[in-house]
This record gives sequence, C-alpha cells and structure tokens, in this order.
Amino acid sequence: MEEYVGALWHRLITDVADKRYPSEAVSLEQISKIAGILFRSWGGDSGLAVKSATATRHGAKRSLLQRIAGSNMKTELTWLDGETLNLPAIIDLFPQRDLNRDLYLWLIALAATHSEPALPWIQRNQRATQDVLERFPGLACRYQRLADAVLDMRPRPERLPHGEREQEEAIRAALLNPGSVERLPPARRPPQPVYLWLHPDPPASEPASGKSNDPQDHNAGDNIIKKEKDRRYQAERVDMPDSKDSFMMSFRAESILSWAEYIKVNRPTEEDDPPDDRPAEDLDRLSVAQDGKTAASRLKFDLDLPSAASDDRPLGDGILLPEWHYKKQLLQPAHCRLQPMLARGAEPLPLPAHLSATARRLRSQFAALTPSKVWLRGQFDGSELDLDACVQFSADRMGGLQAREQGLYKSHQYHDRDLACLLLADLSLSTDSYISDHERVIDVIRDTLFLFSEALSATGDRFALYGFSSLRRENIRFHILKEFERKYNDEIRGRIAAIKPGFYTRMGAAIRHASQLLVKQAATQKLLLILTDGKPNDLDQYEGRYGVEDTRVAIHEARQMGLRPFCVTIDEKGSNYLPHLFGISGYVVIRKPAELPRELPLLYAQLTR
Amino acid sequence: MRSLDLDLIHSFTKMPHMTDLPFYKPHGNELELFEHAFLRQLPLLIKGPTGCGKTRFVSYMAEKIGLPLYTVSCHDDLTASDLVGRHLIGDGVTYWNDGPLTRAVREGGICYLDEVVEARKDTTVVLHPLSDDRRILPIERTGEILSAPPEFMLVVSYNPGYQNFLKGMKPSTRQRFVSLRFDFPKPELEQQIVMGETGADTMLAKKLVNLANSLRTLKEHDLEEAASTRLLVYTATLILSGFDPVDACRAALVEPLTDDEETAEALMEIVYASFGK
Ligand SMILES: Nc1ncnc2c1ncn2[C@@H]1O[C@H](COP(=O)(O)OP(=O)(O)O)[C@@H](O)[C@H]1O
Ligand SMILES: [Mg+2]
Repeated sequence: MEEYVGALWHRLITDVADKRYPSEAVSLEQISKIAGILFRSWGGDSGLAVKSATATRHGAKRSLLQRIAGSNMKTELTWLDGETLNLPAIIDLFPQRDLNRDLYLWLIALAATHSEPALPWIQRNQRATQDVLERFPGLACRYQRLADAVLDMRPRPERLPHGEREQEEAIRAALLNPGSVERLPPARRPPQPVYLWLHPDPPASEPASGKSNDPQDHNAGDNIIKKEKDRRYQAERVDMPDSKDSFMMSFRAESILSWAEYIKVNRPTEEDDPPDDRPAEDLDRLSVAQDGKTAASRLKFDLDLPSAASDDRPLGDGILLPEWHYKKQLLQPAHCRLQPMLARGAEPLPLPAHLSATARRLRSQFAALTPSKVWLRGQFDGSELDLDACVQFSADRMGGLQAREQGLYKSHQYHDRDLACLLLADLSLSTDSYISDHERVIDVIRDTLFLFSEALSATGDRFALYGFSSLRRENIRFHILKEFERKYNDEIRGRIAAIKPGFYTRMGAAIRHASQLLVKQAATQKLLLILTDGKPNDLDQYEGRYGVEDTRVAIHEARQMGLRPFCVTIDEKGSNYLPHLFGISGYVVIRKPAELPRELPLLYAQLTR
Repeated sequence: MRSLDLDLIHSFTKMPHMTDLPFYKPHGNELELFEHAFLRQLPLLIKGPTGCGKTRFVSYMAEKIGLPLYTVSCHDDLTASDLVGRHLIGDGVTYWNDGPLTRAVREGGICYLDEVVEARKDTTVVLHPLSDDRRILPIERTGEILSAPPEFMLVVSYNPGYQNFLKGMKPSTRQRFVSLRFDFPKPELEQQIVMGETGADTMLAKKLVNLANSLRTLKEHDLEEAASTRLLVYTATLILSGFDPVDACRAALVEPLTDDEETAEALMEIVYASFGK
C-alpha cells in the first residue's frame, strides 16, 4: 500500500514539476510514418530508420519541485547517427497538441538539413535553423509560434546566477534571431535543454562489433519486446571530445557516468533524490546488455556450427561472393563463402495430412493459371471474324430482321505464362520463436513451402526452392530444397520437412547466389521471392545499416539482371526498412503469420497475373 | 551529316506551320537526334516517367517536320488488328479499314505508340519488319505487303519503372530502336516549362518546382510514381485561375500521387512547408 501511494505521489508531483501536458501529447508512434516521409523528402538519408531516443541527462539546474520529484533530469532530444534518426518518443511540452506536433516536424526538418556539422553546438543549430527557414518559407510562422512558446518556458535570465544568466541570454537571442550569436558564454552548468535544437552531445552509437543488437536475436529468446524497450540506450563507449568548445567538454564530462556508477551514486551533484526504483527506461547508459535482456538470450551469440558428421551434407567447396561495404561504398570481391548443402538423411515423405485439404483447393484454383489457348467467340473485337456470327448477322439482315448489335469476332485468348520463380526462405534462428501456443515461425515457413509447391506444380510455371542462414561471412548455408529441373515429389517434400532454424541472416550473399541460379532460366519473366521474418543480420559487422545496405545492393543487382525481386515478410516492423530495400511496391508485410501459408500462393497468383 | 538543317527536312514535307508549333522546351539534343533518325529512317524509342514531355515532344516534332501524326495509346486489350486494320461489315458487304499504323505507312507520317509496353507482346510483333531495314508492313488479311515511304517514322515510348517488369519490353524489340531517355527537366528548365505553359510568374514556378523535387525524392521508397511536370502544370493552372494554392497542391499534386491517407498527410506537410499554413 505504501508503495502504491508512493508511486502515485511520484506521478503527481512529476506532472506538476515538469509542466507536461499528457492529454495534449503527440507520440512518435502516431506520426512515425509521416516523420519518415518528411525526413526523406526534406533531404534526409533514406537509409535511416526513425526511432524514439532514450532520454539523456542534461545536467542543468532543476527547480526544487523537480528535485523532490526526481524528474526532469533527462530530456529526450533529437539526433542522428549512422543508422537512425532519433526523435523523442513523446512530445507533451506544450498545452496545445498542434504545437507538440509542430515541434516534431520542426525537429525533423532540422535533422534533414545538414548544416556544417563541425560547428559548435550553438552555431550549428542557428545555422540549421536559418537553412530550414530559407528552404521552407512555409515553416516560418510555425517556428515563430514554437520559439515564443519555448521562450516562455525557459528560466528568466535575471533569476539565474552570474554565468548561467549570460548563457541563457545568448540562447534566447539565438532563438529569436538565428545567426546572431557567436558563442555560448561559459557557465558552471550546461543550459536548460533547448527543445528546438538538435542534441548537443549525441550518445555514441553501439559498438559495431561483438554483440548483435538486432531485435531478431532477442526475439528468439523472448518473443515479445515492449515498444518502450525498443528505444536505444546510450551506449557505454565514450569518445574523446573532438570539439574545442569548452562548454561541450564540461557537458561531456558530466555525462560520462556509467550505469553502475549512476546506480550507486545517483546524486551526481548537490541534490537529494528519492530512492530510485524507477524502471530502466530512466537510465541512459546500459553497459550490461543493450536491451537489458538476460544472459540466456545472449548465449545465442556464441553458437557454434554443428560437427561435420551431424551437419547437413555440403556440396562442393563453397562459392565465393562479393559483399557491399556501404561506408567505403565499394563491393568487396570474394568476401563471403556460400555453401550449398543438402539435408542429411531426409526421407521421402507425403504431404502432411493437416495441409491436404488446403492443398487440394489451391491446386484446383491454380490449375486455372495453366497455359492454354482458347478461341472466344462472339467478341466485339478480335483477330479473326467469327464466321458463324457473321453468317447469322447477314442472314438476319437479309431476312429483314432488325440486326442487333452483336460481336462478330473471334479472339485468341493468350496465357503466355513464360515464368520462372525462385523462392528463397530465411531459415535463421529467429524463425525458432513461437508465434502462437503451438506454432513457431519455422513451422509456418515449412507449411508455406509445402502449399506454395502444391499450388505451383498445378500450373506450368517453373519454380525452385532454397533456404538460407549464415554464421559470419565464411559460412553462408544455402539449403537446396528443390532445383528448377526437379519435379516436386516425395523426395522434395522430405527435404522441406527437414528444414530447421539456425544461425543468422546474411541476406545479401544468399540473394546474389539465388539470382545467379534464377537468371540462367530461359523464361522471360523471372520472379525472385524472398520469404523472411526480419532484418538482415549476422554476428560480425553485418547488422544494422551495413547488412541493410548490402542487401539493398544485392536486390539492385538482381533487378539489373532482369529479375523481379519481391519480399514477403512477417516482420511487423518491416515497413521501416523494406521500402528502402525493395521499393514501395516490392514487398508485403503479412500481419498474421499463421496466414502466410495460404496467403503466399494467392499473392503469387496476383503478382504473375 | 552534322550540318543538317531544317531546309533539308522541309524538302520532305508538305507545309511547315511554324506558327502553330506546340510549346516545347528541349532538354538536350533530342531535337537533333529526332531529325537525324527521321532522315536516316531509323525508328525511335523514348523512355521516361509519365508526364515528362514525351508526347509533347513527338507532337512538336511532327508539327516541326510537317508530318501527320498517328498516336496510339497502348493498353493490354490492344490487338494487332487495332494497329493494322480489320474488315468491317457494312451494308451487306465487308470492307477493309486501315488501322493507324497502316495509314501512317500508306500515306507517310509518324506513327507514335504511347506506353508501348502496355500492349501485349504478340501485338507488338507486327512492328518487327517495320522497325528493321526492310521497313515493310505485311497485311495478312488483305495479302498486301506495304513498303514504308521515307516520310514514315515509327516512334514508341514507355515508362521503364520496374513495376512494369512483368510487362517489360522484350530485348529483341528494344534493340530495334534508337533510344532516347527523358527524365524530369532540370529545375530552371522545368520552371520555364511551367511558366510557358501556364503564364505563372517566376516565384510561383520556382516554388512549385522545388516542391516537386522534394516529392520526387520519395519515389520508390514512399511513392510509386514521381510527381510529373504535367501535375505541376495542372497545379499552376488551378492557382492562376484563382484557386487557393494549398488546396490546388492537394488536388493536383498530392492526391494524384497516393491513395494512402497518412502518406497524403505527410505530403501536405511538405506543401505547407513551402506555401505556409
Ligand atoms: N519540355 C517540355 N516543354 C513543354 N511542356 C512540357 C515539357 N515537358 C512537359 N511538358 C508539360 O507536361 C505535360 C505532360 O507532358 P506529356 O508529353 O504528356 O508527358 P508524357 O507523354 O511523357 O507522359 C505537357 O502537356 C506539357 O504541359
Ligand atoms: Mg504521354
């Protein structure tokens, strides 16, 4: 009971102290799609994902109330790193919803305008403000409204001690007259956060090596990730300050506290905070695990390949493939080794009983897609006269009948389905996670492969099935399920039944190899279907942006070869990165994974109609 | 070959109507290429996104050279008979009726097949003997084999967006044409086009072109099609006729580009950023 009252009190007093307006709040989630579009159209990098930022410590003086409440130590500001546009998860600073929303838009415009990143913070933000106002004159009145509101909320300079007062005055001037302030006067503390500007001291991005931070990996251990937890935590790595600005130095020095220190000390300066059992979202630096996950899920990072005797049978010595390095903007030749392999001891099997009814229905639907040529009679248009109709027509006329309007042509109905399709399925470990009480992703993928094959073998379309996973660049496992030249039969079904989840998702290499197989087909239309449950990732640097960009280049190469790549995913967050990879009309997100087996064949019919 | 001039071209033609020339601002050397192709009897393929001026260019050239223009907008129900012609049944008799392609070959002129990839492949096969050095059009139905005169020119266009993949042009067809790639005009040029077409002033034209270019960066990632010059012309036309600029942008620029409400909302924010709210 005491705890409950305590929590209530905490909330109450936080509200008062922060002067936030939760009822007028706008959340990033509500506008994330718009945010992405605006960012890109205003010149931002289309490879960046939009995410909510963790709050970072700002270190400025807090009011007594705020001190009692233990709040207002952290503010969520906006910054960019190599992979992400970080925006506040919620903006509730202003009592008007419109203003809160406008602030989001303003921050996005600022972030999309790359103005002299080398300048000191105060100059950089004034310059960016000027640039935005010049490029988008329509934003001027919004800026005015926002600046007025923000100035209203800031501390009155005359009430501040010497030093802080000059600092505050400089910031006020810079907000009112962007471009007018040269430097920020030094003070004992950093100024109050400036909500209209970008983050003065963006947190370091995660260390690029060692741990994977792909949500997919955590997915495997823990299927449900709370949205809140999805925010990125400020990483432990702290770079040497590279700015000569003395203010920046002091600001950094204050924020170097590690999580451990933070927990132990928790009163960085003069104030007393109430005992802290606030949730982890309140901590800005987590050095243990990036998502605060247990050791169990991290154990997966150290998977070993199975011993040769128990592993699938490798065919040949492997195939060397290039990989795209987006930072260097070059294709690294022979960077990956892809190993085609066949399931060991997969017995021929009939179609699993639970699929037979659906399979039968699909087969009869798809039989309609088989190539055929039919003459349609009595058409209003066609390449031949329909003699019967003409004779009838003439006879009617001569007999004095009022001739009806009537089709007099025959048309040759063409079904030129000259088509080859390669289906490439992601078999990485993330497919081991459960989507319902009794089904894992891999089970859905298996059923999908079965039904897809059943449907396609009812048409004349040529198709092949492969699966892939990877463990670093030298082990890309490419599982042969059905080659183009093979008939779909019990042996193939046995191979499909034998697929199992393992390892990571080095998508680029798998796509490159699949493209080479597909392009050799004689068909005029070649469809490369990619079936996946998440982003590209692997243990080494193949995560985040690197993996996405390599995959994007592989897709582009496939298109250059005349293939049509299309991605089918069950990753709910797919819309965040898939347009960048496949284009807006090159992918589909299946919301209910359990429906994938039935959806995919229908989708195929639609794509190839 | 370089010193080609209009006189030479006009010796082919009936009457140049210089005054009736449609308004056309060239992007580069396309006028010259068209004239050379015409003189040397080469078929021409123009690729480019919709609304970037392909059709306007062809009608300008037809007028400039002084040739009749037969335009066919292709679609997937278009049959070879629609191009070549068919027997019609009249008062107790059947008679042959030339299609636009045949008419252009018989009488001399430009046959322009717009969006040619929309036509089924078996339809475009009739173009093959016309588009190589034989320059003939066999008409199966009548048993005729027409030889194209020097005044005949075949021009086709298409939009090579990859969403057209399944309909993409056969390489064997594509390789029969001299090809010209159009893209959206450079900003200054596009401003002049908007001004020339609508009478907009520099300020408005510049604003609209900037706006269009912001929207064009969204192609493929967020939008299937880029905002075309045509849409800019429509927008300017609405504004100049007194319609509210922001509403004009919504009607002629935003809504034609997307059906998705959230996307439209985002595009409107881009409009507000240029025109104010
Ligand atoms: N270079 C240009 N000169 C003049 N007008 C142009 C030009 N490019 C585009 N336009 C304008 O854009 C409109 C659309 O052009 P159009 O030729 O119909 O496009 P397309 O055939 O490529 O789809 C034209 O009606 C004209 O108003
Ligand atoms: Mg056109």
